[in-house]
Amino acid sequence: MADLAIKHNPLLETNPPLVQGPQDYNSVTEVVSSPTEIPLNKTPLRWYIAIGITSSILGMMGLVLTYLVATGIGVWGNNRPVGWAWDITNFVFWIGIGHAGTLISAILFLFRQKWRTSINRSAEAMTLFAVACAAIFPLFHTGRPWRAAYWLLPLPNTDLNMWQNFRSPLIWDVFAVSTYGTVSLLFWFVGLVPDLATLRDRAVDNVRKKIFAVASLGWRGTAKAWRHYEAAYLILAGISTPLVLSVHSIVSFDFATSVIPGWHTTIFPPYFVAGAVFSGFAMVMTLMLIARWVMKLENLITMKHLENMNKIILVTGSIVGYAYATEFFIAWYSGNAYERFTFINRAFGPYAWAYWTMVSCNVITPQFFWFKKLRTSIPVMFVLSIVVNIGMWFERFVIIVTSLHRDYLPSSWGYFRPTWVDICLFIGTFGLFLTLFLLFCRFLPVIAISEVKGVLAQQRHQAHEEAAH
Amino acid sequence: MNLISITNTKQNGAPVLGDVTGKSYWRSLNQLADTADFKQWVTREFSSTATDLLDGNSRRTVLKLMAASFGLAGLTACRPVAHILPNTKGVEDYIPGAATFYSTAMPMNGVVNGLLVETHDGRPTKIEGNPDHPMSLGAANSFAQASVLGLYDPDRSKVVLEAGKESTFEKFEAALKAANLADGSGLRFVTLANASPTFTWLKSQVLAKYPKAGFIEYEPISHDAMREGAEMAFGTGVAIHKQLDKAKIIVSLDYDFLGLDALSIMLTKLFSKGRKLAEESEEEGEHAAAEHKDEKTENKKVEHAAEHAAEKAAEMNRLYSVETNYSLTGGMADHRLRLKPSEIVTFARDLAAKLGAVPGLNVMQPATDKRGKFLDALAKDLKAHSGECIVMAGPKQPAIVHALAHSINASLGNIGKTAIAWASTKGEVSPLDAMRTLAGEINSGKVQALMILGGNPVYTAPADLNFADAIKKVPLSVHLGLDADETAMAAKWHIPEAHYLESWGDGRAVDGTATIQQPLIEAMYGGKSAIEMLALVAGTKDQRGYDLVRTYWSGQLPGKDTTAKDQAWREALHSGVIPGTKTAESKATLDGKSVGAQVAKIADGKGFEIAFYPSSQAYDGRFANNGWLQELPDPMTKLVWGNALLISPKYAKDQGLADGDMVTVSKGNLKLDVAVMTQPGHADGCGSIALGFGRTVCGRVGKGVGFNAYAIRTTNDFWSGDGFTITKTAGKHVHATTQEHGLMEGRPVVREAKIDDYKKTPKIIEEMNEVPLLKSIYEDLKYDKGNQWGMSIDLNSCTGCNACVVACQSENNIPIVGKEQVLKGREMHWLRMDRYYTGDENDPQVVTQALPCLQCENAPCENVCPVAATNHSPEGLNDMAYNRCVGTRYCANNCPVKVRHFNFLNWHKTTEEVQKMSFNPNVTVRMRGIMEKCTYCVQRIQETKIQIKAEARAAGKEIRAIKDGEIKTACQQTCPADAIVFGNINDPNSQVAKLKKHERNYALLAELNIKPRTTYLAKLRNPNPELG
Amino acid sequence: MHIHFDPHATLAKIFGVEKTKVYGVVGEFPDAHDLVKAGRSVKEAGYTKLDAMSPFPVHGIDDAIGNPHSHIGWIVIFFSITGLLLAQLLQWYTGAVAPGKLPAWTGLGSYPLVIGGKPLYDITFSIPVTFELTVLLSAFCAVFGLFALCGLPRLYHPLDTYSQSHRATDDGFFLIIEASDPKFDPEASAQLMRSLGGTNVEVVEG
Repeated sequence: MADLAIKHNPLLETNPPLVQGPQDYNSVTEVVSSPTEIPLNKTPLRWYIAIGITSSILGMMGLVLTYLVATGIGVWGNNRPVGWAWDITNFVFWIGIGHAGTLISAILFLFRQKWRTSINRSAEAMTLFAVACAAIFPLFHTGRPWRAAYWLLPLPNTDLNMWQNFRSPLIWDVFAVSTYGTVSLLFWFVGLVPDLATLRDRAVDNVRKKIFAVASLGWRGTAKAWRHYEAAYLILAGISTPLVLSVHSIVSFDFATSVIPGWHTTIFPPYFVAGAVFSGFAMVMTLMLIARWVMKLENLITMKHLENMNKIILVTGSIVGYAYATEFFIAWYSGNAYERFTFINRAFGPYAWAYWTMVSCNVITPQFFWFKKLRTSIPVMFVLSIVVNIGMWFERFVIIVTSLHRDYLPSSWGYFRPTWVDICLFIGTFGLFLTLFLLFCRFLPVIAISEVKGVLAQQRHQAHEEAAH
Repeated sequence: MNLISITNTKQNGAPVLGDVTGKSYWRSLNQLADTADFKQWVTREFSSTATDLLDGNSRRTVLKLMAASFGLAGLTACRPVAHILPNTKGVEDYIPGAATFYSTAMPMNGVVNGLLVETHDGRPTKIEGNPDHPMSLGAANSFAQASVLGLYDPDRSKVVLEAGKESTFEKFEAALKAANLADGSGLRFVTLANASPTFTWLKSQVLAKYPKAGFIEYEPISHDAMREGAEMAFGTGVAIHKQLDKAKIIVSLDYDFLGLDALSIMLTKLFSKGRKLAEESEEEGEHAAAEHKDEKTENKKVEHAAEHAAEKAAEMNRLYSVETNYSLTGGMADHRLRLKPSEIVTFARDLAAKLGAVPGLNVMQPATDKRGKFLDALAKDLKAHSGECIVMAGPKQPAIVHALAHSINASLGNIGKTAIAWASTKGEVSPLDAMRTLAGEINSGKVQALMILGGNPVYTAPADLNFADAIKKVPLSVHLGLDADETAMAAKWHIPEAHYLESWGDGRAVDGTATIQQPLIEAMYGGKSAIEMLALVAGTKDQRGYDLVRTYWSGQLPGKDTTAKDQAWREALHSGVIPGTKTAESKATLDGKSVGAQVAKIADGKGFEIAFYPSSQAYDGRFANNGWLQELPDPMTKLVWGNALLISPKYAKDQGLADGDMVTVSKGNLKLDVAVMTQPGHADGCGSIALGFGRTVCGRVGKGVGFNAYAIRTTNDFWSGDGFTITKTAGKHVHATTQEHGLMEGRPVVREAKIDDYKKTPKIIEEMNEVPLLKSIYEDLKYDKGNQWGMSIDLNSCTGCNACVVACQSENNIPIVGKEQVLKGREMHWLRMDRYYTGDENDPQVVTQALPCLQCENAPCENVCPVAATNHSPEGLNDMAYNRCVGTRYCANNCPVKVRHFNFLNWHKTTEEVQKMSFNPNVTVRMRGIMEKCTYCVQRIQETKIQIKAEARAAGKEIRAIKDGEIKTACQQTCPADAIVFGNINDPNSQVAKLKKHERNYALLAELNIKPRTTYLAKLRNPNPELG
Repeated sequence: MHIHFDPHATLAKIFGVEKTKVYGVVGEFPDAHDLVKAGRSVKEAGYTKLDAMSPFPVHGIDDAIGNPHSHIGWIVIFFSITGLLLAQLLQWYTGAVAPGKLPAWTGLGSYPLVIGGKPLYDITFSIPVTFELTVLLSAFCAVFGLFALCGLPRLYHPLDTYSQSHRATDDGFFLIIEASDPKFDPEASAQLMRSLGGTNVEVVEG
């Protein structure tokens, strides 16, 4: 399989090379490590400003959550029939974004996609931060989080001596999301160990050296260790691949296994996964472009990387568009009056505005990437990547709210309006996400040093061969 | 709270025996009462954190809480045990925590409804109808159901007020003595219409002392036109009793006899008898008689049910309704004609003319439009059913319409068959005229003492009398009322009135049957009753309610010696009716001339017309501070927390008006700013507005809710009037409704068929479902052991009267949420009443559907709960474990009928101590953040089981099976139409099992394979073939 | 660039690890393929106990110096199966085992509840959780197994004392002939290393 991939995959042509500029191993180390080694007092002011803003947004979220728990879900706009609204929308949105990281590091690794090396570290970091944001909602959307916190876990409990209901997709979710979070963290850390060792060995001052000595677990990079390392990494990639596919499938079960028209659809698992990758890559793109520019990583994150990501955005975006079309077709073809109504209501009902926002952002936008000119234009891809994420948020909103607000009995139909608490909470999650990302960029190597060196070695080797012939 | 009522019981001196029991009762509590624990728990139980404690705590806590509530009940309620008797067999035997039922009566609008009141540890908690009472026949309407909340209303007036300042009853007595009333020519009494023999007796006592004193029975929702009409038609005082069960054709001339009428419970019962398909009523009969019948013959019978249905169905009655606003009666009608108020009068005239009911009268309007066709077809139909039809006019119609109705009935030979005449005292001057004179007398300074015993005339009196100013001119004005309301503020003296559940009294049903109204709890604020006030004025030797009633009836009750009389008295209290008090039937002969003379005076209406109608929530305003009623959706508009000027969609379009637009309705110098709302099926060119809103001096619940229609209600335009001008003004008003969408979108939600089509193909109901059935990948569970509870709701009988909704609220401690939250769609009613329009928007038909939890066997809600908080009981109930719920709301999302209700906020935050006394101790009060839903009144099921176990243990026999009909859910028990049947579907002989085998039986959303235990019987219409 | 302070040595003292015997000879080579070449030659020279240090996994080095393949995969498979069985046990027990079925001392009981008319336990709805737990245990095993096999975390490695070791995580490629090798001789081995183009050749003690 791997070999096939190598043969047939055009992405493998290392021309233009994936690592550009006059690069040797040491310069790679330098470029990636030096930003993390700037002493705090020399840290650029813009970083302090940035984290000042994001962390205060994070603090605001803390206050809003306190208010929510103290007063009740009633402070949101949720109602009967719309029991879930922005809470679960945000949850699915962030989980979706969390898919790119593992996908890049696991699936692309299995397919021997060398170009992944420059982006997988930060993509994985984003996965973790996105999952952290997502994890807020399953807990805090409950009416009694102080109970949900441990009643959702299979712990022997004396309260009622009751166990979980393993027929419930929500319990599957708990397992899927927590597993995904944990595995992503392990995967990320394993990848980080050799680079932490690098930082340790470059460290000048004592404290820093001690910190990284402990963090890197005393990694020495001996051949004996590398051989286990590679095997373990391969295994992690191997199990993460079905995992990343399973997570959003299981999230989609929350809806697919229900009886609500617009939710009860077998197409959901693949459709959700595609959507997740779609939004994930868009988010990686947005942040990469900023990081690349701010941290001067143009030589490591090259146009080729960006273009490849855009190609994936184009593919997954088209899959999502196809899914929308299929939904409509099946709704009509099934002859089920309720299904039909739900989809007609989505497109022309009270929430038509949301539906058409979703369609124009997710289906039309990515089509621009058919053109190489647009695909390789930084400003274009920056704007589009943001548009895509707006669209994907609306996709979740449309699926959840429009299906609920008008289901079987017209007597129970209603309408949902968000409150200031809904909005602040959503903004707050970005505070958490960006704060973590800023800390990551400041203190850890944003690019997998050892892996890039591996690629570089291959380039040099090829050059060497060519020279020989 | 508890402290107050202790002192009260001391002050008023509870009856001797009562005191003794009270004391002994105390002793039994001593140990508990002294511990610090107890005090702590008392406060805890009645603090908003109570539910926290109940949640996830040990059994011991719960027991403590129970103990506390039991103790508190002892503190708060000290019932005079000696004098009143439970409706249960044998002598009262007090078991802490066990419910006891007492019969009493609720006086309202000149009649009393016999009730059974459930009390827990001396606290009345639930109102039921008294089956032995001729007017309630075991049912209670929403007002009666909600009155228990009124008893515990924290805003009730608690102290005597003198010119708005706190005073004492002694001071008042002094003031009364001081007033020189002489022969009483300056003494006037304004009371509500009442039918209390004791009151009448005391009235005579007062007149004996003050011969020139005057009594006025002013009722804002008056039935005077009915009496006047009868007198006009028959020349004498006659009351016409409608035997609806005997009528095949029923015509209602603006008579909402299924909805907002004092007699609606009785009339609904009678009407639905004629609406039930024959073989069903048979089954009812049989099932009562035959307990053990071998199944074979049963099943055979059921197989033939269809044919039965077909042939017997023809016997279903046919209802024609002519009205302005859409009423429940109009909703049930097979044919409905919408007319302006003035047009109804002319319609009655023309109908009479067509039938030749009034000599020398001919039809004035040609038979071209819908009205004409309707008139012809109706006349034919009536003629064809002479002697087995009835024409009824509503209290909102002028006397002449009643007279015409009577003439028609007479001419068709219905009198004595479907319309039975009862002798009745010929009324003196009509209350409205009396009020006019009173106002005059006051203004001319003739009145020195005005005693307003109940009611709120300052708010309800016709605007042109300007009563608010008038009353200030009276030297000694006294107001006896439950609330310190508008009148209390205007009057010199205000005396807190005792709630009917707190005071002794009596009253007659429409057929004259008398009932003793016995108190269920000692007057919490030492209030007085109207008879006690009369006694005070008359200076009789007895002053306390009990003595007064007892004295009067000892004269009336049969029995030669006191012991016999005591026995009769005890029986009267026990059963809730006094035998032999029924009015005799009498002859009534029509006096055609006087009717003819009056007909001549009929004039056509001009300009915009306004019709007033009693609110289904506040009635005439007396229930404005009752949260249950304020949040009870109006049966038609589904409006809560307010009223509106209802207009037809067409008129709205013509005038460029939309829902919520503010308009000014004015006539002369009177004007009213009100928000409009379109009501499909409302007559064009006129508007209807509910009375009872816009209270200015009222408790926290009702103050400033809605618009005060009394502002434009005058003695001339008392029920309706023409020549109003309506002008759109700036500003919008937000109406809160519980149902935003009124159309079924072609879905088979409420299944309805014309009776003839159903006759031809009984399968028609089943075939209405188009969507293919889903299949389960698992094999279905068998529910064939023991009791398997199920319910059947007959949409053909259900009128949508809402009684069940309030009954459920009262039984299950369902909170109210307020207008803001209703607007967000967070109302909590476990049982909701859906209303759908079918057909043309301007003139649609209406169907209603009572929707509790369907208790699905394959419940979608259960599958998705991550913590298994909702799951199935072996008896097929879809249970909620409140204290396991974490509140994901996933179950509510996955409920296809959306009957699960989430506690979005702590709805009990503002619940006061005294309100908590109305809680049903057998039902958990749910905390914030958890889901709740209909439980099939599981507490009642368990109560019965425990009872049976106890009996069996006592008798040393083995536990017997539960009899069919032994357990009644709250909604079933109170349904005036007997539309709800609950029972064990596992027992083929049970009524519910039989109904489910019926051709009309269908399961809502069966296509989802949810297997609901609650199923529906489709609605049938019985249209006149000529009108199609 | 050169560091005078050696934390590992210090830490080694703190933890009482004494520098006693010779660990081996270390030599540096310019690039990955040079390292591989050198490695192969040393092996051909009859050495068996060889190792290398590089900033990234160098391809072919294992064959060159005769490193056996990693067995971590087998350990992972064992744990995956454990996870699978554990998940099935959990869902069957919590869903379908009535209280009292198991010995009382377990203190565990479950309510077998009828939910949505579905069976108490069924393979169909137990798949997702089973899959997740399988993956979770595999991942834990893969990571902690890796650390175990590499002897991590360790605060001291004899090679820490090698003057150039800090460059092993930067741009240095080093070949190591371990003292435990029967053919090992500080002088000769170092000589061989130099002859193959190794620079910074040192005898490392520890």
